[in-house]
Amino acid sequence: MQSINWGIMAPEITVAIAIAVAILLDLFLKRSVSRNWIGWVSLIGVAVAGSFVIYQFNLPTSGLFDGIYVLAIPNLMWKLLLLIGMALIILVSMGQKQDELGSYRGEYYYLLLLALLGGMFVVSTWDLLTIYVGLELLSIASYILVGIRKKRAVSGEAAWKYLVLGGVSSAFILYGMSFVIGLTGTTNIIDIIHLGGVPEINEIYVYLSLFLLMVGIGFKVASAPFHAWVPDVYQGAPTAVTSFLAVVSKIAVLALFTPLLLTYAALSMKAWNEVIVILIMVLAALSMLVGNAVALRQTNVKRMMAYSSIANAGYALVPFTRTDGIFIEGSMFYSSLFFYLLAYLFTTIGVFAVIQLVEQKEKSQDLKAFAGLYRRSPGLAVAMTLFIISSAGIPITAGFFGKFYIISGILSSWDNLWLVVVMLLTTVVSYYYYFSVIRQMFFRPAPSMIEVTTPKSVGFVISISCVVVILMGLLSPFLMDTFQRLFT
Amino acid sequence: MNLASFLALAAILFCIGLYGVMTKRNAVIVLFSVELMLNATNINLVAFSKYGVIPSITGQVFTLFSLVIAAAEAAVGLAILMALYRKKGTVEADKYNSLKG
Repeated sequence: MQSINWGIMAPEITVAIAIAVAILLDLFLKRSVSRNWIGWVSLIGVAVAGSFVIYQFNLPTSGLFDGIYVLAIPNLMWKLLLLIGMALIILVSMGQKQDELGSYRGEYYYLLLLALLGGMFVVSTWDLLTIYVGLELLSIASYILVGIRKKRAVSGEAAWKYLVLGGVSSAFILYGMSFVIGLTGTTNIIDIIHLGGVPEINEIYVYLSLFLLMVGIGFKVASAPFHAWVPDVYQGAPTAVTSFLAVVSKIAVLALFTPLLLTYAALSMKAWNEVIVILIMVLAALSMLVGNAVALRQTNVKRMMAYSSIANAGYALVPFTRTDGIFIEGSMFYSSLFFYLLAYLFTTIGVFAVIQLVEQKEKSQDLKAFAGLYRRSPGLAVAMTLFIISSAGIPITAGFFGKFYIISGILSSWDNLWLVVVMLLTTVVSYYYYFSVIRQMFFRPAPSMIEVTTPKSVGFVISISCVVVILMGLLSPFLMDTFQRLFT
Repeated sequence: MNLASFLALAAILFCIGLYGVMTKRNAVIVLFSVELMLNATNINLVAFSKYGVIPSITGQVFTLFSLVIAAAEAAVGLAILMALYRKKGTVEADKYNSLKG
């Protein structure tokens, strides 16, 4: 019997150990001891896992259990994104007011880690069963996180909507997967790809399975037309959890598109050429249109960011729509996607960190809560402006280059020119609602002149995000070169 | 018995579940409907494992996992519903409408 090299699973094992330690600490620490210690334990776990991932970039591609767990550069990159996002979100969570979560602070941190663990398995597997189990671990932990403020009705309501729609989408994913298993008799995607196409008489099942799966994944990645839950859940969840859903959860589900779409391409090349690319294009275009259009009339800043995150799901789907061959051919796919997601990660976490501070101070999520922020806390207002400019995609910030590289990556053929036009037009539309925040901050009188206090950990996250957003803008050619070398 | 009848049964159950989620007002029934959808897929998986194009044990193993996950989901769902019931005093799902914009 061949011995199993558990070492390549080190990041996941580290996170699992951190979860166990956090649970035990929560059990044995006295009630009077601050639960922020559990936050620090989680942060250390995430940092150690992150350093393992960085170390693993030097290792050759390898796998465990016939591809159930894969160690390759793209998987490591996805995992690194999740871990960076998680570390920042844990720091932001420590800045939450003590009364926000009551006595559930301990649970809060290890539920975050559990969701992260689910996400890490999702991004590092080529097996349908593990994908499903990881996805459910991510989702079920997120349902609880959304509803963790038990004392508030909105929180429970958001959790309820998320749970029901999340459950339905899981059922769709499972139903879709069941047909793939029926056609191939295996859950291993690498085996499925080696098996080759299905006979023409069975192609109808491939299409059925594809549509069911796309409905489910569309729900989970928060793309239109399956976005109904997004604004409600984002509004009702604690702000740190909202940024978790917008960043970590979305990135993990987005990573799934690669193995799943390749599965269908292998099952039927005809489906790939005629249906899949068009399907993704429609999902992307609808998300951009609906997200940006509906965001225009939002007055609740968290709902506005929810629609913005729907639009961002659309932008992030664009690299998958290359029409001349399979999307992962060439290094441009991964490098443009990762550049975009890295920019999105820092920008979004920064925005939500500022929203959390203002929301806690003003007890309101209304856009008007930002009125006169520049006079009250100039630093916060300037940081928020930078994040907004980056989300809107205005030059020399990270967000601009993210969109720029996505567009230059898919313009290899002119078939998807219309998608690029949609992307550019909706970006221009998005300026209007993004700038309404800036208008409030700089040109409206402040209701009071009391400074919005910034806890150290949140201040750290905001300044790090600012620096990264600017640096990614300035050093973008260099970063892009590094990515391209990584993925060739 | 052939594969088609099992697939038809699963499809019918799946659709009943989906219909229940969309139309039922009682939140507990909504949870049941989600469970029905998940269990419909289990029928599919087990049928494929016996009568599929390439029969194998994989489908049945998958079913075990999905049963456990469905149970976990139901537990979390009921817990959230309990918390919500204490706040709202009702299990009518259309009374849960304070989030809108």
